[in-house]
Amino acid sequence: MNKMLTVTRREYLSRVKTKGFIFGTILTPLFLVTMMVLPQALLFLKSDKSKQIAVIDQTGVIMDSLIAALDEKNEAGQRLYNFIKRQSPPEEIEALKNALSAQVDKGELDGYIFIPASIYEGGKADYYAKSVTNFRENGRIAGAVSRAVKEKRIQQSGLNSEEVLQLTRRVNLRTIRIVEGGKEEEDRGRTRMLVWILVAFIYFAVLYYGQMVMRSVIEEKSSRVIESVISSIKPFQLMAGKIFGVGAVGLTQYSIWALVFGFLSFNSGKLAGLFSSRFSNAAQFTMPTIAPETLVFFLVFFVSGYFLFAALYAGLGAMVNSDEEAQQLVFPLVMLVIIPFLCTFFIIGSPNSRLSIVLSLIPFFAPITMFARIAVQMPPMWQVAVCLVLLAATILGVIWVVGRIYRVGVLMYGKRPSLPELIKWIKYA
Amino acid sequence: MPTLQLENINKSFGKLEAVKDLSLSVSPGTIYGFLGPNGAGKTTTIRMIMEIILPDSGQILINGTPNTSREMLDRVGYLPEERGVYRKMKVREALEFFAELKGLKKNEHKKRIDGWVERFGMADVQAKKMEELSKGNQQKIQFLTAVLHEPVLIILDEPFMGLDPVNAELIKEVILEQKKRGAAVVFSTHVMESAEKLCDAICLINKGRKILDGEVKQIKRNFGRNSVILAYDGKSDFLKNNGVVERYNDSGNYVEIQLRQGASPQTLLAAAMQHAEIFRFEIVEPSLHEIFITTVKEN
Repeated sequence: MNKMLTVTRREYLSRVKTKGFIFGTILTPLFLVTMMVLPQALLFLKSDKSKQIAVIDQTGVIMDSLIAALDEKNEAGQRLYNFIKRQSPPEEIEALKNALSAQVDKGELDGYIFIPASIYEGGKADYYAKSVTNFRENGRIAGAVSRAVKEKRIQQSGLNSEEVLQLTRRVNLRTIRIVEGGKEEEDRGRTRMLVWILVAFIYFAVLYYGQMVMRSVIEEKSSRVIESVISSIKPFQLMAGKIFGVGAVGLTQYSIWALVFGFLSFNSGKLAGLFSSRFSNAAQFTMPTIAPETLVFFLVFFVSGYFLFAALYAGLGAMVNSDEEAQQLVFPLVMLVIIPFLCTFFIIGSPNSRLSIVLSLIPFFAPITMFARIAVQMPPMWQVAVCLVLLAATILGVIWVVGRIYRVGVLMYGKRPSLPELIKWIKYA
Repeated sequence: MPTLQLENINKSFGKLEAVKDLSLSVSPGTIYGFLGPNGAGKTTTIRMIMEIILPDSGQILINGTPNTSREMLDRVGYLPEERGVYRKMKVREALEFFAELKGLKKNEHKKRIDGWVERFGMADVQAKKMEELSKGNQQKIQFLTAVLHEPVLIILDEPFMGLDPVNAELIKEVILEQKKRGAAVVFSTHVMESAEKLCDAICLINKGRKILDGEVKQIKRNFGRNSVILAYDGKSDFLKNNGVVERYNDSGNYVEIQLRQGASPQTLLAAAMQHAEIFRFEIVEPSLHEIFITTVKEN
């Protein structure tokens, strides 16, 4: 037991102390936060500069509504959009457009809008700008023009525009998730997102730390240090120590990330405020809450998934001589993780279909598939119980078999074992 | 009670009989040479002693207790033939790791490691990574891990291989100290000179079978005094076709001769005097090298 802890400590410290671990642990959340915040922040920062937009309004009445509709101001109190009225007789309209295009090209204007006289009868308004990929901005302008035109159409028909707008207000569909006990909970795709994130955590942990165990086994084998080690400790203890050590590395890394994200989500307002005062009002970062039982099951499946695959990877490492050789064999094992991960697309959509139930009961898939079901909607208790019993039995079985393969394999150099040889290894007491 | 005792050990890999009915016994305070040509089964036997692989039949006792007892194995030190190290680990950490694997507590191994690295002139490389050390220095560190916990039995597989004379001398010194301390030291080699100087007893195996064992003195005596050392000046024709020489190793004016069974050294001397001037003629005990070659060939 003490020896196993010695191995665990070595595996843990030798990884945690590396530059790779320290940078990886710090940079990953930094990278993710940057990815989340930067595009929106940039958008806001950029739009702080007020824009000069020319308007050719052939109706002569739309522009005023447009000015009223897009009246946002930046921090300096300037309007975000300054509309400049341009007019010309209909026959010279093309000449004016060309002139404005030239101005946009030179950067004197940010863009111009052309509103034809036929706009009430279904004609189209045009927006010309150098960059037309800012969807948020395009959407705003289109919305403002559309609103202004609608208003005028309604006025022309003699109806009260206020009333009509009130009556034709867009209807939003709320999706509400019914959880156990009949409680209701508003759901705007957040659950789906959250399930994805948690499932992805398990997926990456299993693959990443599983392979770390495998490389550790191969390293001892290929450097031939294994013989010194195995003369002082039982192979099984060594394997167990390794799996615990690497597992502790994983837990450390994930805990640090969880703390960082926890901190960020609680302080998201302040964080966003660093970029722009307007941004903080947008409050983009409300973290969805996780139900406590989901969190408990997350830990259960996270840990059991890790043990199952770490043991499989350790066995694979014991069978080969080098990383290259391992890469050729690792594919079936990776598939055992990728298949259930891809299945979660389907499972999140219909967690109680027959196929989802079957997928969630296959022990090698269960850490991902059953957890996905639980996170979406708690399945019947008997299914969860059957799944956990099967999973536990599989883990014990895998550890028993792999322990035997490991014991023989770590001392075997040269040709990779064939299946009959492997069976002989397992039988070898 | 012998420190190490092997009783009728057998081990096969498929059809290959790697070790066949091997028995031997090593007393405390002795240096025991485990000799044999390449592929004789030396490393396989050593791995069975360390319980890395299991014998098909037979028993291995350390201080009278079967080696399946882990407590007993903690009192054995082992330098494998495969010189593997944790390449990324710092020297000091590697020493501490192996000390702890052998059951030493932190407060027990600190002083010992300090003392040893000082003596081995490696105090200033403790913070370096193992891979930064030369092969010879890595081997010294590995050797240290085999003696650090003051084991009752020390097993060294080719301990001098790849060491320069200074370091080989250092290792030899330590081996002799361990013997004085009362430990039994088993080392395998096929370099007979180092075995000859160090060993109190030997076991010679070939193709998995023991062909000779016992105290070195006794073995030499039993082998008979039929070796001759001869220093001469002149032609060496007398070595051929005289009916008494089994084999010889001629260095020009110095020759080691193995006589045929029952041949008289006097006949050789008479023949030699006719062809060359003789400076030295000595009937000696055979060297282990001679015994090794003769016995292996006979088998």
